[in-house]
Amino acid sequence: MTTTLAGKIRAYRVSAGLLFLFCFFCLSFSSAYAEDGAKIFKQNCAVCHRLDGQILTGPGLAGVAQRVPSDDWMFKWIKDNNALRKSGDAYANGIRAKYDNKDMTVFNGVISDEDIKAVIAYIKNPPPPTVAKGPEGGGDATKGGGQAGSGEGAASTTNMYFILAGVLVLLLILAMVLRGVKYNLLNVIARSKKEEQIVDKGWWCETKYWLVNHKRTIAALVIILFLWLGKLAWYGMMDIGVYTGYHPEQPIKFSHKIHAGDNAINCEYCHSTVEKSRHAGIPSPNICMNCHKGISSGATTGTAEIAKIYDAIGWDPKTMTYDSTKAKGIKWVKVHNLQDFVFFSHQQHVKVGKVDCANCHGDVKSMTTAQQVMPMTMGWCIDCHRKTEVAGMKDNPYYEELHKKLAEKYKGQKITVDKMGGIECAKCHY
Amino acid sequence: MSKETKYWRGLEELANSPEFVKHQQNEFTEEVPVEQFLGSGLIGSTSTTRRDFLKFLGFSVTAVSLAACETPVNKALPYIIKPEQITPGEALWYASSYFDGQDYASVLVKTREGRPIKIEGNPMSGITMGATNARVQASVLSLYDSSRLTGPTEKGSAVSWAAVDQNLAAKLGQIAASGGEIRILSSTIISPSTKAVIAEFSEKFPTTRHVTYDAVSYSAMVKANWHSFERSAIPSYYFDKASLVVSIAADFLSNWLSPIEFAKQYAKGRKVGGSENAEPAKHIHFESNLSLTGANADVRYPVRPSQFGTVAASLYNALASYVGAPTIEASKLEIDEDIKKVAKQLWANKRKALVVCGVNDVAVQMIVNGINTILDSYENTVDLRSPMLVRQGSDEAFLDLVKEMKDGKVAALITYNTNPVYTSPETLQFTEAYKKVGLRISFADRPDETAELADYICPDHHYLESWNDANPKVGHYSLTQPTIAPIFSKATGHKGTRCAQESLLLWAGSNQDYHSFIQKHWETSIFLHQSKESNFREFWNTTLQNGVLEVDLNSAADEKKLVVAAGKAGRDEVKDKAKDKASVERMDLATAAAHVNKYNPKENVWELQLYEKTSMGNGCQANNPWLQEMPDPVTKVTWDNYVTMSPVDMKKRGYKMQERQDREASVVTVSLGTTSVDLPVYPQPGQAVGTIGIALGYGRTKAGTLNENENIGVIGKNAYPFVQIVNGVFTYSAGDVTLSPQVTTTELAATQVHHTIMGRNLVRETTFEEFKKNPKAGNEEEELTTSIGKKDPEIETLWDNHERPGHWWGLSIDLNSCIGCGSCVVSCTAENNVAVVGKDQVKRTREMHWLRIDRYYSTDWPVLTKDAEEKADKDGVGKIAMYLDMENPSVHNPKVLFQPVMCQHCNHAPCESVCPVLATNHSSEGLNQMTYNRCVGTRYCANNCPFKVRRFNWYNTNENEKFAKLNPAQDDLGRMVLNPDVVVRSRGVMEKCSLCVQRIQAGKLDAKKELHKLQDGAIKTACQQSCPTEAIVFGDINDSSSRIAALRKDNRSYFMLHELNIQPNVSYMVKVRNAEPEMAEAGEKHEGKSTEEKKAS
Repeated sequence: MTTTLAGKIRAYRVSAGLLFLFCFFCLSFSSAYAEDGAKIFKQNCAVCHRLDGQILTGPGLAGVAQRVPSDDWMFKWIKDNNALRKSGDAYANGIRAKYDNKDMTVFNGVISDEDIKAVIAYIKNPPPPTVAKGPEGGGDATKGGGQAGSGEGAASTTNMYFILAGVLVLLLILAMVLRGVKYNLLNVIARSKKEEQIVDKGWWCETKYWLVNHKRTIAALVIILFLWLGKLAWYGMMDIGVYTGYHPEQPIKFSHKIHAGDNAINCEYCHSTVEKSRHAGIPSPNICMNCHKGISSGATTGTAEIAKIYDAIGWDPKTMTYDSTKAKGIKWVKVHNLQDFVFFSHQQHVKVGKVDCANCHGDVKSMTTAQQVMPMTMGWCIDCHRKTEVAGMKDNPYYEELHKKLAEKYKGQKITVDKMGGIECAKCHY
Repeated sequence: MSKETKYWRGLEELANSPEFVKHQQNEFTEEVPVEQFLGSGLIGSTSTTRRDFLKFLGFSVTAVSLAACETPVNKALPYIIKPEQITPGEALWYASSYFDGQDYASVLVKTREGRPIKIEGNPMSGITMGATNARVQASVLSLYDSSRLTGPTEKGSAVSWAAVDQNLAAKLGQIAASGGEIRILSSTIISPSTKAVIAEFSEKFPTTRHVTYDAVSYSAMVKANWHSFERSAIPSYYFDKASLVVSIAADFLSNWLSPIEFAKQYAKGRKVGGSENAEPAKHIHFESNLSLTGANADVRYPVRPSQFGTVAASLYNALASYVGAPTIEASKLEIDEDIKKVAKQLWANKRKALVVCGVNDVAVQMIVNGINTILDSYENTVDLRSPMLVRQGSDEAFLDLVKEMKDGKVAALITYNTNPVYTSPETLQFTEAYKKVGLRISFADRPDETAELADYICPDHHYLESWNDANPKVGHYSLTQPTIAPIFSKATGHKGTRCAQESLLLWAGSNQDYHSFIQKHWETSIFLHQSKESNFREFWNTTLQNGVLEVDLNSAADEKKLVVAAGKAGRDEVKDKAKDKASVERMDLATAAAHVNKYNPKENVWELQLYEKTSMGNGCQANNPWLQEMPDPVTKVTWDNYVTMSPVDMKKRGYKMQERQDREASVVTVSLGTTSVDLPVYPQPGQAVGTIGIALGYGRTKAGTLNENENIGVIGKNAYPFVQIVNGVFTYSAGDVTLSPQVTTTELAATQVHHTIMGRNLVRETTFEEFKKNPKAGNEEEELTTSIGKKDPEIETLWDNHERPGHWWGLSIDLNSCIGCGSCVVSCTAENNVAVVGKDQVKRTREMHWLRIDRYYSTDWPVLTKDAEEKADKDGVGKIAMYLDMENPSVHNPKVLFQPVMCQHCNHAPCESVCPVLATNHSSEGLNQMTYNRCVGTRYCANNCPFKVRRFNWYNTNENEKFAKLNPAQDDLGRMVLNPDVVVRSRGVMEKCSLCVQRIQAGKLDAKKELHKLQDGAIKTACQQSCPTEAIVFGDINDSSSRIAALRKDNRSYFMLHELNIQPNVSYMVKVRNAEPEMAEAGEKHEGKSTEEKKAS
């Protein structure tokens, strides 16, 4: 147990005096900590540190608790390693020198003290190393499930059509039979009345008679048919240039699921300019190398795909050196293509509007290949602007006055983007 | 049978030859080359039937449309290693300096993803104070000029740098060893480090001498100052400290010395309606051509060039009488009485007056020095203690050099940033002299007129690619830093350009890069003169970030030391030479006056005054289509130079007055000695009678791609050959020019040929006298005439008011500050990707500028229609004749007004209501939005726009071959200048000023991100930012504390066409002229009658 936790335990013991209860508390705390810790670790630390002994940018953390002077030291180091080094701590300065004088991020103010403690707890009790999953392990399961689901859906619609067709055939047969019965009965009556026999002119002939005698109905039907076809054609054409579901093959089989999903790497870690610019930014290979300097083998594709990054940036994994003359770059295939005549700003939406990435990009965390989920048409944009209340508006001084005015004008109503002029032409087209 | 009259269709029918009879029945008399037309007879041999053809057609149409539905595969390439400071999509700014031997400006360069796309002024500079002019604005396009050389050449063929260096080092060494003379000829160099490089080069090759030569010379000023004060320097001028400016032919707002700086100061001194309501500075101007500066003067006197000296002398005499100084000789002038009045005013403004003179003549400049001395201008409005270093050329040194060259004494000549083959006077025969030089080396960036004749061209970087420093004025320093990696380099598959300084160092045997050379030089010189920073690294970084460094002259240890450090070579040259020769004695004023007295107008000849255009300057950027298409501020003509002549003279000589765009202009032959050119004549009201003007900077034959365009060729005619050499200095006027009758005709492309406002109160002006009495003077409310009498136009309206809960954008333009310089026009072009369309399209009124500057000459006719009608009635003039008469400005000397007009963003916009597809509509922020993708090109909006500010894309100028080599956005290189935040418009859509909506959106986003309210002034439109006189103010009218909100309530504020109740968001402010009525009239009436009568041609 950590000293701090132990301290907490002691405090509890004094107040409650029940050791058993405390053990229970202690356990529950530590597991809760570890759970938080895992998340915080992945988001903040995993980029440079591995839980096993392997060195990435920083040292591997296996057995770190035994190496460092104390848990308190570890806390101080994580919180503000600069301050610790400046205080003249020999171990701290030594560790920096050992790892090429690389600076570690100062987390003071970035994550809370509680979080740091949680991370320490997690590092000390890491989960047992998982055996690399078989190819497409998890992914396959969901995919299979998805396919099964869609298969079922398809089957049920087909069945429906069969049943319908069967019913139709049955009804037709029934109609023919009833027709025969009708004529027979009519003839029976005629015979009894000694009248002339009614000759069956055949169903086709009769239909023709009916058609000739019901011109208005026919006209109405034809109009309805045309409208229906027109509607189909219209919607068909509306779909031209809409690429929902577009998921081109990429030069590197990069999986968002592994990175953003399984490893919970924040979107912004790679798409770093999302809050600074109109473009979210496609990460340059040197960002990949932050982690892949150490991780040269992936869970699903082995070394093949990661080697492509090395190739792109001119990194020689054997000698661990860069050769910029061999750098080639990566030609990604753009998945989300907005037209050149529309100005879209990620900054405006993510930083100011506090829109979640998933709103437009879907559940990227589960995508093995990046896919366009939303239609990305102007109608879709406007639709959202008509429905969405601006999350970042209330506590932003920029909007203060406008918000007051609009709140007065639209009493009780949601103040959506369009009410602030968010669907005017020159907001996106100039 | 009666006699028949025969009608015949042609001579063939009349002759009725057998061949004619044979072909008579055919539809076409000649065989139509069907085979050739359809393609060499192949059509007959194919088995494709008509049905097959239709099948193919159907299939391919379907296939193509299906293929179009395919997802376009767009590739995205991230940086391999992203530079930390670059954020894709965000601009990165660098502080830098511009100097091309003509204009100096401290600038901020906007780069996007590593490409410079826009130049703005650096507000930290104490000289240019954030201002730029059109030429500086356009300089970014010159970077992407595909006529630049991509590597060194030897006798016209490409060679490697290694070969050049080897050859030249050896050859130069040989020359120096054998005592051969080496000369470096350059335009003014204001870079201390470059001078240090030349010094180092001279040390290695001791026979080297550096000669400075400016295309348009100011060396008479330097000489005059030596004669007057024993200081070989050009002083600093402070127009803002002067309450009366008198200029004798000094076009200080567009070309003279440091126009950007002066425009800024000038406007500062002439603001009206400030808190103290002080009297704006007055400006009196004497000149022969109507220059931009003259057009802005309160009182202007047209004077023949030969009389400029006499004007100065008379002014001196009038002032001398106040102090009891001896008078000097001066011939009589008919405006003597007016000059006495001017002198009286000058005397009343003693210590606050400034007299400047643009005549490159030592004697005249000396008299002006005398005037300024009497007026105590020195240390007040003129400062010899901190000389200006932007013009260091010495005509004497240049003439000596040419003589040496002719004598075959010069073994090697290195030319740097100069083009003497093009710019030197014909009488000098520079080309012949140049050919006699043994080794000719040029640093030109293209094979221009001079470089073409050079043995070696070692192309220099563009200023946006290079390191440099500048010292435009003693005590003021600035740095130039690269904002893009050299476009032509090994990395881009070329031999590459190289910094000229590095080349010189290399040949001198020093293999160091210029960047570290500058740093070293600064560390040992400039760093020591300042006391703010003690660490050089920090000093360097701060200076580089600020772009400028100002050393306080008082705190500087020794002023002289600074002067020497600043520019030993150029300025002191005259002095040194004077000492060497010991023959040049200081001239006194009387001698000067005697000189001046010799210049007298001759009879029956035309006087020529050469001038520089605001757009083209000395012609060094002649291949820049933005500048070529920028209308001249006064004549409004694009893509040409011409002879300007008073309409009085033109009528007399029977030349065609180009009254309409589609009318032709007379071409005449202008001759002076052996020099003659054929140029069209353009009527210029205000031109002194009996004089003509021709712009320099045109007629470049080797300027670049524009010359190679078969539709353009050589633009205008070269007027430099007319430059005279008088008393050892270049003179830009000549007294005995002859003009031929009309030789032929041609068309000129002017953007404005009508001169009247048709009785509408569009431009408003008043005098300061009136303004003092009534702040609303000249700004009378417009009323709407209705059946029930006059009404306030805003009372009745068809439309609902727009709600503007958030921002309400407005623009205010102060006509009093606007000098019409056109900086905004080019700035707008650069910011908004406005297309260049060329002379032919401009002739068809299809120029694409979103912002135009209307120039109005005032007429003798009343401005208001009602009054005009009364006058017409009285004079017995018909209605049509009345309007035609209004077209004619008071021809002798009209007053001029400039009015920038862009989309007025009307709240009740006439364009919006006629658009059938709602492509133009109104935003909740008051903008009149134009949506290109909705536009179907009916042009109803343009038709209904009362301001005619909507521009229609007749062609897809960006992809149409017709515009190849004309529109820089056409080639791959030029396309890099496009602003990625603004869409490039295609054919068939309308476009117009958007009030820089991209900047509005970016500014708003910044405020949102940084969690604060939008600050007033945080968003600047491109025109506002580039305006040197701060005439344009943009802001949020809803923000009651904003400048725009206050300006719109100002008494001078008005809206154009207010009577239409269109409620524009762009407002104007009345111009206030500071001229006593009788004086203004005097200036107006002066027409040089005597000379006119003398000339009987």
